[in-house]
Amino acid sequence: MTFDDLKPGQQIAGATFSPTRESIREFCEASLDFNPLHLDDEYTTRNFGKTNFGGIIMHGMNNFGVISRMLTDWSYPIGGVQRRLETRWKIPVKPGDTIKPGAVITATQTTGKSRWATLDIAVLNQRGETVAAGEALVEFPVGV
Amino acid sequence: MTEPGYETDFWKDAELRKAWDDIVPGEPRKTIPYTLTREAIQKYCRAVGDLHPLYFDEDYARKSRYKGLIAPPAIHILLMFACTPADDWMRSPGTVNAGQSWSYNLPARPGDVIRLDARALDKFIRKDRLFVVHDNVFFNQRDEVICSGRGWTIRPN
Repeated sequence: MTFDDLKPGQQIAGATFSPTRESIREFCEASLDFNPLHLDDEYTTRNFGKTNFGGIIMHGMNNFGVISRMLTDWSYPIGGVQRRLETRWKIPVKPGDTIKPGAVITATQTTGKSRWATLDIAVLNQRGETVAAGEALVEFPVGV
Repeated sequence: MTEPGYETDFWKDAELRKAWDDIVPGEPRKTIPYTLTREAIQKYCRAVGDLHPLYFDEDYARKSRYKGLIAPPAIHILLMFACTPADDWMRSPGTVNAGQSWSYNLPARPGDVIRLDARALDKFIRKDRLFVVHDNVFFNQRDEVICSGRGWTIRPN
């Protein structure tokens, strides 16, 4: 597989991730983000605007890391470099959920100095709900 | 184990942090330089289940186009908290992350001394929610941009 083989509509599947209370705690330690939304069940029963989480939630950025892993696992072997990732969180992810990231190539483009692929991103939970969505840009430098 | 010197109780000194009313778009945030270690990189990688040898296997990494161990692109997740002090408003309990976008230039590497330039970029109210947009650029010790990004947070009221 090379850049020339990439076509709009091609799909990429990432590895599943199943957060637990322990993995969320581990992410707190690894990211230094100890927001009580990820640690304190009682705190999460409050109302946050119109939202009541009703239990601790996984960090949105844990999801970001899972998506980024999908992009690098796909792009490293074919000479690609992850250049951009934008994400929006749709539904909280909780301990016991299983999420799976996926991407679809939306376009390829050659510029004056390099080559690029744009991708749409979606992360689904075990009920098929979209928990996160976004877009990514991967560069395929000439000569790599 | 959390790295020494980093506060794990986000309630501590919470009243010292700027609330939505106090945040001035354009005003720089206080930041602190941080030396990224192989251990911190690998701890992050394990937490998200990313065990790629570019982050773990020195021989593999040396023979790759990167010529040595690197951090994964999303290491800014750690750097955001590692490069900001305990009274930074990103730590306010109840901060909800609504979305982020990041652009990547160079990989961070073990031993890099990372510097963050950060500010609030914008604040607004939408659907009764208090939003702040934050804008961040991480540099290495050679003043090369590692990555830049912005995030949309809903602030506690």
